[in-house]
Amino acid sequence: MYFVLHDNATGHPHLHSRLAGLALAGGVLAELMLAERVTLDLTSNPERLHAAAGEDGDDAFTRRVLGHVVAEPYHPVSTWLLFLARTAEAEVTARMIAAKLLKPPVRHLLKHQPPAPADMSTAAWPLARLNLAVQRRTPPNPRDRVLLGLLDAAGCAQRVLSEHDPRFVAAVIAMLPAPMQRLVAQTKAAVGQAVLSRR
Amino acid sequence: MSLTEQRPSAVSAALAQDRLGVPSIVFFVISAAAPLMVVAGSVPTAYAVTGVIGVPLAFLLLGGVFSLFAVGYVTMARHVVNAGAFYAYAAQGLGRTQGVVTAWVALLAYNALQLGLYGIIGSAAEPLLLDWFGGSPPWWVIALGAWALTGLLGLLRVDINGRILSVLLVSEIAVVLLFDLGDLFGGARNGVSFEGYSPAALFVPGVGAALATVVAGFAGIESSVVFAEESKDRLRTVPVATYLGIAVIAILYSISAWAQTVPTGPDGIVKAATEQGPTLVFGQAAEHLGGTVATVGSVLFVTSSIACMIAFHNTTARYIFALGRENVLPSVFGRTSARTAAPISGSVLQTALGLIVIAIYAVSGLDPVTKLFFTFGAFGGLGLLTLLTVTSISVIVYFSRDLRGETAWRTRFAPALSIVALLVIIALTLVNFDTVLGVAPDSPIRWILPSIYVVAVVFGVVWARVIRATRPEVYAGIGLGAQAAAGGPR
Repeated sequence: MYFVLHDNATGHPHLHSRLAGLALAGGVLAELMLAERVTLDLTSNPERLHAAAGEDGDDAFTRRVLGHVVAEPYHPVSTWLLFLARTAEAEVTARMIAAKLLKPPVRHLLKHQPPAPADMSTAAWPLARLNLAVQRRTPPNPRDRVLLGLLDAAGCAQRVLSEHDPRFVAAVIAMLPAPMQRLVAQTKAAVGQAVLSRR
Repeated sequence: MSLTEQRPSAVSAALAQDRLGVPSIVFFVISAAAPLMVVAGSVPTAYAVTGVIGVPLAFLLLGGVFSLFAVGYVTMARHVVNAGAFYAYAAQGLGRTQGVVTAWVALLAYNALQLGLYGIIGSAAEPLLLDWFGGSPPWWVIALGAWALTGLLGLLRVDINGRILSVLLVSEIAVVLLFDLGDLFGGARNGVSFEGYSPAALFVPGVGAALATVVAGFAGIESSVVFAEESKDRLRTVPVATYLGIAVIAILYSISAWAQTVPTGPDGIVKAATEQGPTLVFGQAAEHLGGTVATVGSVLFVTSSIACMIAFHNTTARYIFALGRENVLPSVFGRTSARTAAPISGSVLQTALGLIVIAIYAVSGLDPVTKLFFTFGAFGGLGLLTLLTVTSISVIVYFSRDLRGETAWRTRFAPALSIVALLVIIALTLVNFDTVLGVAPDSPIRWILPSIYVVAVVFGVVWARVIRATRPEVYAGIGLGAQAAAGGPR
C-alpha cells in the first residue's frame, strides 16, 4: 500500500496526508483481515471489528492495533479508520524502515528528504502488477484486489494508475468478499467525509 | 479487563483531541458571515437601495427569527449528522425527492451569494489603491484578481487557517466597534435619534427589500451544524455556538447600522449612503477617528470580503461534492483531488461560474455594487429564506414520526413559529422585489428572478423522479452525503 502511495524513487507522497492516512488505515485493517486476525462483523449495526490478541510473532504496531481493538470492541469500523489514520503514516513508515524496505529519512538543515524505498523495483512492483491487471482487464490476485479497492476509495486510482477504467475497478471490488467490500466502502465514506470537513 | 468499558476510551480520547470547541465553531461561523463586509458593504447599500431607515431594527428582528429557527435546526443536528445540512434534513424529514429539490435551491442560493461578492470587492479595494498608487483599475480587474485567488485557494483546499481567521475576525469586530464609537461620539452633534429602532421606520413600503438584504448578512450562520460531527460535545457545542453566533451578529450589525445613521441623522442616511456607497463607513471613520483607522478598516474590508468569498466558494464546492458522492449529480463531481484533498470538480465549476458572471457584468457595464452584489445577495437571501422554511417544515415532520426524547417546544412550536415568521418575510420580500432590483414595479425581471427558484424546484422534482426510476440504488442514498459510499449508518 505504502509503495503505491509514494513515488518509487524519491519516496515523495502522491496523496494528501489526510487521505493517505485513511488509505493506509484501510490498508492496515485489510491486512489484518486477510491474515484473519481481525474480522468485520456484518451483522452488527454499525459494523464492528472483532480481534484476537496479538501474538509473539507480531511486530509492535500490529500488537498495538490488535490491543486497541480487543480493549474497545464497541467502536464501529469508521471510528477505527479515523483513529488509525492519525498515526498510520508514521507507524507504517517506521515498520517499513525496520523491515529494511525503506531507507530512514534524511534531515538536513534546509531540506527534508522523505524516507525513500530501499529497492526501487520492489517499490514499483505492486503498482506495476495493478497496471498490468488493468491493462489486460484480468482481475488481479485477491490481495491486489483489496489494494485496488482501497486506492479507488482514497480517490487516487486515476492518479497513480497508468490507465483508469472505473467499470473494471468496480468489477474487481465486486469480486471481494463481503466484509472486505464493506471496508472499502467505509474507507470511501471516511475519505468523502474528510474532504467535506472544513479543516 | 472487565473494567475496560468504564475506563475512558483511549480511542475516543485520541480522536477528541482533534475536536472543535464552542469558540472555534463560533469563529468559523461568524467569519463566514464576514462582519465588516456586511457593515461596510451591505448596510449602506441597504439604506441606499431600499430607502428604509429601520435597518437596525430589521437586524434585531431577524436575529430573533434566526434564533427561533435555530431551536429546531440544532435539535435536528443532534439526530441527523450531515455535512450538507439543509438538503439532508429535507431528505430525512420530507422525503428524498424534496431533498433533491432543496439541494438545487441551496446550490442556487449559495452560488448567488458567492458570485455576488465579486461585485463588492472592487469598491472595497478601490479607495485603497487610489490612496496608495493614485489610480485604480476598473472593478472587474480587481474582481478577477479575487476570483483567481479564490479559485486557486479552493483547489489547494486552503480553508483560511483557523488562527489567521480568528485574528482577522477579532480585528474586524474591533474596527466595527471602534467605528461605531467614532460615529456616536464624533457624530452626535445633531443629537442622537433612535428612529432606526422604531417599528414605524421599518414597516414602510420598502420593508421586504430591507429584510432580504439583512438576511444575506446572516448567511453563513447556518453552517454551524456541519461541525456537529467534529465538535467536542455534539449535544451542547453546536447549539451554544449557533445561538452565540446569531446573538453576536444580530447585535453587532444592528448597533453598527444604527451608528451609521448618527452622523447624518436618520433623514440624511439614505442620501449619504446613495452618494458614497461602501465608502460611507470609512469616510465617517476618517472624519471622527483619523485616516489611519479608516485605512486599517479598508484593508480589513478587503480581507473580510475575500475570506467570505473563500468560505462560500468552499461551501458550494462541498455541496456539489456531496451531491456527486451520492451520485445525484454526475459522479465526476464526487471526485477528490488526490494531492490536496479538495473537492476538485465542484471547485472548478464554481470558479468557472464566477468568471462568466464577472465577464457578463464587465461587458454590459452594469454597476457592480447595486446590480451584482446587492441583487445577487438579495436573490441568495430569498433562497436562504426558502431553505430555512423548508428546513423548519422538515424538523416538524421528522419529529412527528418519533419525538426521540426531544421537547415539543424544540420540535413543534419553535419551528412552527419560525415558519410563520419566515413566510411573512418571504412574502414581504416578493412584494418589494422591484425595490430590491431597482426596477419599475411592472418590470418583468422582478418576477423572473424569483421564478428561477420555481424552475429549480420543478427541475429538482423531475431529476429526483428520473433517478428513482432509473437508478433506485442512488435514490436510496439521497441525503447521506459522503456516507452514501458506505450505504450510510444502517
